[in-house]
Amino acid sequence: MSWVTLCEEKVLPTNRGVAAWFCGRAIALFNLGDKGIFAVDNIDPATGVSVLSRGLLCELNNELYVSSPLHKQHYHLQSGKCFENSELNVNCFEVKKYQGKVMVRKNKPKIVQDSRPTDTKSALSKEA
Amino acid sequence: MEQTKQKLLVVGNGMVGHYFVEQLCRQNMSQYLDIQVLGQEQIAAYDRVQLSKYFEVGNADNLMLASQVEYQANGVTLHLGQEVIEIDVVNKQVFTQDADFSYDKLVLATGSYPFVPPIKGNDRADCLVYRTIDDLKAIERAANRARSGVVVGGGLLGLEAANALLSLGIDTHVVEFAPQLMSVQLNKEGGELLKEKIEALGVQVHLNKATTEIVDGEEALHRMTFSDGSFLEADMLVFSAGIRPQDNLARKANINVGDRGGIIIDDQCLTSNEDIFAIGECALWQQKIFGLVAPGYQMANVVASQITADYLHNQPSQFYGADMSTKLKLLGVDVASIGESRGFENAQYVELIDQQAGIYKKLWLDETGLYLRGAVLIGNVDEYSHLLSLYLAAEPLELPAVSLLTADNSAPILLKDNAIVCSCHQVTKSEICEQVLAGNHTLSDIKSCTKAASGCGGCAAVVEQIIDEALVGQGIETEQGVCRHFEYDRQALFHLCQVESIKDFNTLYQQHAKSGASSLALGCEICKPLAASIFATLENDYVLSEQHVALQDTNDAYLGNLQKDGSYSVVPRIAGGEITPDKLIAIGEIAKKYNLYTKITGGQRIDMFGAQLSELPQIWQQLIAAGFETGHAYGKSLRTVKSCVGDTWCRYGVQDSVSLAIALENRYKGLRAPHKIKMAVSGCTRECAEAQSKDIGVIASENGWNLYVCGNGGMRPRHGDLFATDLSTDQLVSYIDRILMFYSKTAGRLQRTSVWMESLADGLEYLQSVIISDELGLAAELEAQMQKVVASYQCEWQTSLNDKHFLSRFDEFVNPKDAPAPSQNAYQYLRQQKFPIQSQVQRFSEITQANKGAGNIAVTILDEQETSL
Repeated sequence: MSWVTLCEEKVLPTNRGVAAWFCGRAIALFNLGDKGIFAVDNIDPATGVSVLSRGLLCELNNELYVSSPLHKQHYHLQSGKCFENSELNVNCFEVKKYQGKVMVRKNKPKIVQDSRPTDTKSALSKEA
Repeated sequence: MEQTKQKLLVVGNGMVGHYFVEQLCRQNMSQYLDIQVLGQEQIAAYDRVQLSKYFEVGNADNLMLASQVEYQANGVTLHLGQEVIEIDVVNKQVFTQDADFSYDKLVLATGSYPFVPPIKGNDRADCLVYRTIDDLKAIERAANRARSGVVVGGGLLGLEAANALLSLGIDTHVVEFAPQLMSVQLNKEGGELLKEKIEALGVQVHLNKATTEIVDGEEALHRMTFSDGSFLEADMLVFSAGIRPQDNLARKANINVGDRGGIIIDDQCLTSNEDIFAIGECALWQQKIFGLVAPGYQMANVVASQITADYLHNQPSQFYGADMSTKLKLLGVDVASIGESRGFENAQYVELIDQQAGIYKKLWLDETGLYLRGAVLIGNVDEYSHLLSLYLAAEPLELPAVSLLTADNSAPILLKDNAIVCSCHQVTKSEICEQVLAGNHTLSDIKSCTKAASGCGGCAAVVEQIIDEALVGQGIETEQGVCRHFEYDRQALFHLCQVESIKDFNTLYQQHAKSGASSLALGCEICKPLAASIFATLENDYVLSEQHVALQDTNDAYLGNLQKDGSYSVVPRIAGGEITPDKLIAIGEIAKKYNLYTKITGGQRIDMFGAQLSELPQIWQQLIAAGFETGHAYGKSLRTVKSCVGDTWCRYGVQDSVSLAIALENRYKGLRAPHKIKMAVSGCTRECAEAQSKDIGVIASENGWNLYVCGNGGMRPRHGDLFATDLSTDQLVSYIDRILMFYSKTAGRLQRTSVWMESLADGLEYLQSVIISDELGLAAELEAQMQKVVASYQCEWQTSLNDKHFLSRFDEFVNPKDAPAPSQNAYQYLRQQKFPIQSQVQRFSEITQANKGAGNIAVTILDEQETSL
């Protein structure tokens, strides 16, 4: 199985985000109605904190972004690239709707490198 | 095979040595060169120009320019605590106590050392110098046991040292050999005025004193005896009688040095050895030592260009001498000198003495009177930048020189494109304009890309003015829209929503977004919360209703204050700061149950930190059960009405400030505005509630209430203006109704009341005319609107808890059963409370230990984080 079912489609609010737990990581799901559902890492790479699902959806130059609730960096929903800082990016995941369920594709991790700040990494390893 | 990289060794990690390395790093030179730096001190480069700031904050953190980690990140190795003992120029090696370093090219940036006059007794205890952070620590320790101190030397550095002693709270003297202060930069009149001003600050200045000996004192530790037979006693001495180039290494290695010291360099900054450069205060160019940082930077640029030329094929530059003009604040007195500031033969001059204001200015012109050759400014240095650019441009003056001192300072300065704006980093006006065109629109952007205003900072105001002019020139300033989706400002949008009864973002967007804006109607993080705020002011609907919820910013969206670790803080309303013991206990029990960090806010309430998203509903359920309601700490809305205890208990109070504060807080709670609003009520003129620092401040008088408006604390403090006096409570409330609603209607996005009022033409007077005499005929409408908001108040948490659908928003994950339990390991514990692990919590005992003697000053290290007052 390369698709993981996360939730019912009807529980996703429109034009807002929710967090979901997917293959050992937190991801943010955004339901943009006709435009589709998007999924990116929930961890904001600028701070290492798991909050992107709580960010505001934005449209800049006809492209879709989520703005981090902490310091407002924008991450592109389709490429994961940060608008303000080319060194920051988040992983993006493929989403489909099937029989009223929302499913996310288990992809071979595209990006292996951990782009979070080093102090966060050490904090997380302490946790583990 | 990788070719072996050329070895570049830099001896010295002072400001100039560091700047040099920085220039190489900017060009990524570590890919071609093995760059190593040897620093004698135990710490990396710091800002020596601002040294006395060490005593203002009690530590060196703000002075640091670099760190080993940063060097490493740029591929450069920095060795600290390495004093070089010898250079072997034949084998191209440098020796320290612990190690040998070989080099292909060597750069000496060894700086200078303080000159200690050869006076008998100059090595007694607590006879110190002022040069390094270690010196400052020694001064601090000595000052702890001293009542009085003497600075030997009345030059620029001596006065800086005097400032340090003064700020350490000891009786401060300055002893100078010359008949005036700052004899290098100032003429006699300038020196005299400076002396008067400094003496007025409590520093005693002794001129014409040649010290013959330092011996045991009778009243104090030391006695300095002078050649005229007089003496002075003090507990500590600081020698600051000039600097001498640190040229020992070069001297021992048979590199040519000047008769009076200094490593001789040519226009390439090369010493007599073709592989060794010297830069900064250790270098002697055309018999001159440059004791300022800017010329040192120019030398560093020259050497960097020589070194990079082989790899980057750039044109190597040369050193042609440097301008020694300077502007600084000595003991709070503004002093500036430009060019030949002490005058010269056959010079024409213009002199201005304003004895009343304590201002002295003198311009020196060449014999034709057409060219500005020098200037000295004391007490007021507003003209410095303009005069400096005229001096550096070396073009004939267009108007009589006197007009330079009498011109209206508020008029914008007209600078030529090639005028050097930042003399520390040699940045011209046109370079700044180019960067503005390239999209760098703020002072901090310009600082980072041109380095302008990042040296002494004296040109910052001029740089800002140039940015503004360039923006206007580009037509950027004319764009008033709040964001890329709307070309209206907040006031216009408010008006449109009001007259067209627009109550949702979609309608606002479809009808008023910029032509060409995307049909998606998604907006952005600027226009959505702005629209939400306008709808809330006009209708005061539930902010999390289905049509508004996706508009709300971070904090409003979850009715809590998001913290750096993703958790929230919770603030219940404690109107007027009055709370019963039972309610205090309830807060304590809830905080304990959910393991929340608690802190009293500046607004007289209690903030509870570290609540997880999913805990917020339960926490609020219990708070509401205990009789609390939301404190709106998350909203751009009324925060608190602070109060003193008032005449019910206080012996001095004349009115019941607590009752009024509670009434005001209950009236305006929940009012959404362009920004947060803070109020306070004081029960008498002693003003214990600090009402004058609030947006709305009320101070009791014998006959009623005095109303102050548009004060501010925070990072831009402003005292409120007295708006009306002796008001009855009804009058007071109707004025506040009108002011707040007028502010909500007309202010810009995120504009506090203080800035808003300053932006109104005629400011206070205009506001009084609108509110008191109702010039615009708006009073009734404003009051009616406020009445609507007051009548439709709801506790958003109460409403939310009654809505099951709403509660699902607080699930940490949409699929909670797949997720691991939230971990509490992300917290550390200090002072019996928890803190996020990523935050740096300082233990007070450590702070005081590390800064023994700095006393309470050290406490300011702790981050002053804006929370949710």
